[in-house]
Amino acid sequence: MSVLSRLYLGLNLVIAAAFAGHMALADPATRIVSVGGSVTEIVYALDQQHRLIARDTTSVFPAEARQLPDIGYQRALAPEGVLSVAPDMILAIEGAGPPETLDVLRAAEVDYISVPEDFSAEGIARKIRTVGAALGRQDAAEALAGQVSAEIAAAQAAAAKAAGGAPRTVLFVLSTQGGRIMAGGADTAADSIIRLAGGANAVTGFAGYKPMGDEAIAQAAPEVILMMDRGGDHGIRTEDLLAIPAIQPTPAAQNGAIVRMNGLHLIGFGPRTASAITELNQALYGGGG
Amino acid sequence: MSLAIDAPAAAGPGTDRRVQARRLTVVLAALLAGMSVFSLAWGASGTSLWGALGDLAAGRELSRLDRIILFDIRLPRLVLGVLVGAALAVSGALLQGLFRNPLADPAIVGVSAGAGLAAMAAIVLGTALPAAVQQAAGSYLVSIAAFFGSWIAILVLYRISTRGGRTSVATMLLAGIAISALANAGTGMITFMADDSQLRDLTFWNMGSLAGATWAKVFAAAPVIWLALLAAPFLARGLNGLALGEAAAGHTGIPVQRVKNTAILTVAAATGAAVAVSGGIGFVGIVVPHLLRLATGPDHHSLLPNAGLLGASLLLAADMISRVAVAPAELPIGIITAVLGAPFFLWILLRRFGSMGI
Amino acid sequence: MQAYDIRVTLGRRAILKGVDFEARPGEVTAIAGPNGSGKTTLLRAMTGEVPFSGRVLLNGHDTAAMKPWQLAAIRAVQPQSAAIAFPFTVLEIVRLGLRAGLAAADSDLPLRALAQVDLAGFAHRFYQDLSGGEQQRVQLARVMVQVWEPVRDGVPRWLILDEPVASLDIGHQFTVMDLARSYAARGGGVVAVMHDLNLTAMFADRITLVHAGRVAADGVPAEVLTHDTLAQVYGCPVPVNRVPPAGVPYLLPQARAV
Repeated sequence: MSVLSRLYLGLNLVIAAAFAGHMALADPATRIVSVGGSVTEIVYALDQQHRLIARDTTSVFPAEARQLPDIGYQRALAPEGVLSVAPDMILAIEGAGPPETLDVLRAAEVDYISVPEDFSAEGIARKIRTVGAALGRQDAAEALAGQVSAEIAAAQAAAAKAAGGAPRTVLFVLSTQGGRIMAGGADTAADSIIRLAGGANAVTGFAGYKPMGDEAIAQAAPEVILMMDRGGDHGIRTEDLLAIPAIQPTPAAQNGAIVRMNGLHLIGFGPRTASAITELNQALYGGGG
Repeated sequence: MSLAIDAPAAAGPGTDRRVQARRLTVVLAALLAGMSVFSLAWGASGTSLWGALGDLAAGRELSRLDRIILFDIRLPRLVLGVLVGAALAVSGALLQGLFRNPLADPAIVGVSAGAGLAAMAAIVLGTALPAAVQQAAGSYLVSIAAFFGSWIAILVLYRISTRGGRTSVATMLLAGIAISALANAGTGMITFMADDSQLRDLTFWNMGSLAGATWAKVFAAAPVIWLALLAAPFLARGLNGLALGEAAAGHTGIPVQRVKNTAILTVAAATGAAVAVSGGIGFVGIVVPHLLRLATGPDHHSLLPNAGLLGASLLLAADMISRVAVAPAELPIGIITAVLGAPFFLWILLRRFGSMGI
Repeated sequence: MQAYDIRVTLGRRAILKGVDFEARPGEVTAIAGPNGSGKTTLLRAMTGEVPFSGRVLLNGHDTAAMKPWQLAAIRAVQPQSAAIAFPFTVLEIVRLGLRAGLAAADSDLPLRALAQVDLAGFAHRFYQDLSGGEQQRVQLARVMVQVWEPVRDGVPRWLILDEPVASLDIGHQFTVMDLARSYAARGGGVVAVMHDLNLTAMFADRITLVHAGRVAADGVPAEVLTHDTLAQVYGCPVPVNRVPPAGVPYLLPQARAV
């Protein structure tokens, strides 16, 4: 108990100090909690990171963001945990929750900005503008949005050229738990990034992330398998992946066409999407185009 | 805990255990009161209960943040924790009495899984119900579904594992595994059918947590759990008699069938409501009654109320760990009860294998 | 207590094929018979533990129409063996025989009953730690507490015992059978399934001898326990009232003055 109570006391002191600081400043939000990897990236891209006081588990880029206190998984936020860092604004990607927590946060008069999620170039621009408006940096946001849109348009055009009108089919594998393949269907971030990078989603039968049957995978015959690189030993090893019966007969497996990319970079749909498009495109069609 | 003080010597309890049990009730009530205050006073944020009470005493207004943290976050969470903890512990004691076996626990024998499946089905498929039904059920829809889910699970379990009034422990545990597996298959099915926003609800709900405590949830669960807790003491004599076996219980004047049906309904209501608002929280139902039996014996007249009190305290303690262990994030409370409870369960299992076999 | 035309079928096998039975208050009535004859099934049918056809009257009332608590007020049934689910003490088990169970107000009946079955001082031991014979006597103490006075409000009460001396040594066999006799002598009714014919002869007022699902003989011991009847029922010669050949030691409980 003594360690816990000392921790508790310490925590209280820190929070008391934080509250004191908070009272002195007021108006433009200076104690911001950022929820969602792409939202946090945008805050950094707008050079407003000094106003961040906490982040969610998915906010891992840039590396400095990891230094911020972690308030948990974006869909399972605890109300008192969030309030304990004494935020005056919460910038959260659409879909953060649960709703009970959001109700309490709104009742506590914390500014809650929901950032709309849409897996497209326009969607990214809208995210940037929303975040910029919330931070009072409309002009910088407008500039960033224009720049990011232009980069994406260029990357997309280059990607389409590399594909040369014959897009390769790509299967996005979210997880392989117990040999069961969770694949990305239509209306997913994976589907969008594959198309932007000049590929074609091998999955056409369903929307969302769903477990996919062995025969369905064989029939989809993807030329490339795309996975998230989780770092450490979380990801499945290539030989293990190729040992899964559903994967074996696919052209991707036979040619060893397995592509791994950082998850947040690949499907975060933040300011770095253009580089994700280029990287994926090069992985699909070979470097240099 | 102070329980060990009252534990009987191995040779047998020397004095009347009823007196000890009554004393223990007082101790446990005081413990729960203490835990409640502690739980109100302790949280990730700096809001202080004492500061707030001082303000109120001095006639000052509380700040909006303090008011929200105390009355909209900590208080409903405290009430929900007490209700869920008491419901789970009493459900465990009732199930064990019903099956004449100390290893029955709502989570282990698949009752919670049944409730969970039904609750998830209500979340995902509830929108397909006629508008009038949705309107009538309102926020109770998930609770009601969970009740029927756990009810059906207990009925199936009882039919499978009890033959001629005797319960085979092995059959009960295996049937529990089968029921859980079946319910999990159903859960997988539901997850597959869920759209993205429903999936979010399921994810959160699945983890077993009091973090989503709101007054709405308290009001949805409280009447059901309250009724179940009120009904439980009336089953005490019947469950004591059942320890003799069904036939012998009947000969002492106990309406065996009615006791069994009432116990099953009570467990279904309490477990269903608890699971509906807090997800899967395991092992409270097995740890608490077992400790109490060690301390003051198996008499259900004292076991049931004491289980309610200790279960509530235990869950509040687990919840406090869940709040501060990784603050400002939270650890799901189901993980904490499992970490504490699973070794305990194994210990009971091994001891039973050692002494009388299963 | 009367039973008429009791029939029990378990699976496809007829265990009892129309048994009539009568026991009177103030008497010890024994049900005897070889293994598998249906004597225990007859007892279980009459106490409602197995489904049966026929009619059972207790003090003139049809038991099928009586509630469990009405039956429990005038009849207590001792099971043949009883494993207990939880670590109850001996005293707690005996107290379960009280009308309100463990919630009953303090009463000295349980301790007196324990003393009568020669278990004084066992009250706070764990039931599970006792030997089979001791457990059996605890169960007897429990059922005696349930119907302590043999006659209440002018109505006789009943002790129904399923092989009450099965795992007891000879001293405690006497203890238990003496209690049964005394209960009957004070106006109560006792019905007991018995295995030991000598003890039966000694303590029973009447014997119903069951064989192959029917009543083979019925009456006072002297009428029922004859060489011819026993030889036919048990399928071997059973000499009655004859001293064994010289050199074989034999024990006759009857040698004790009843």
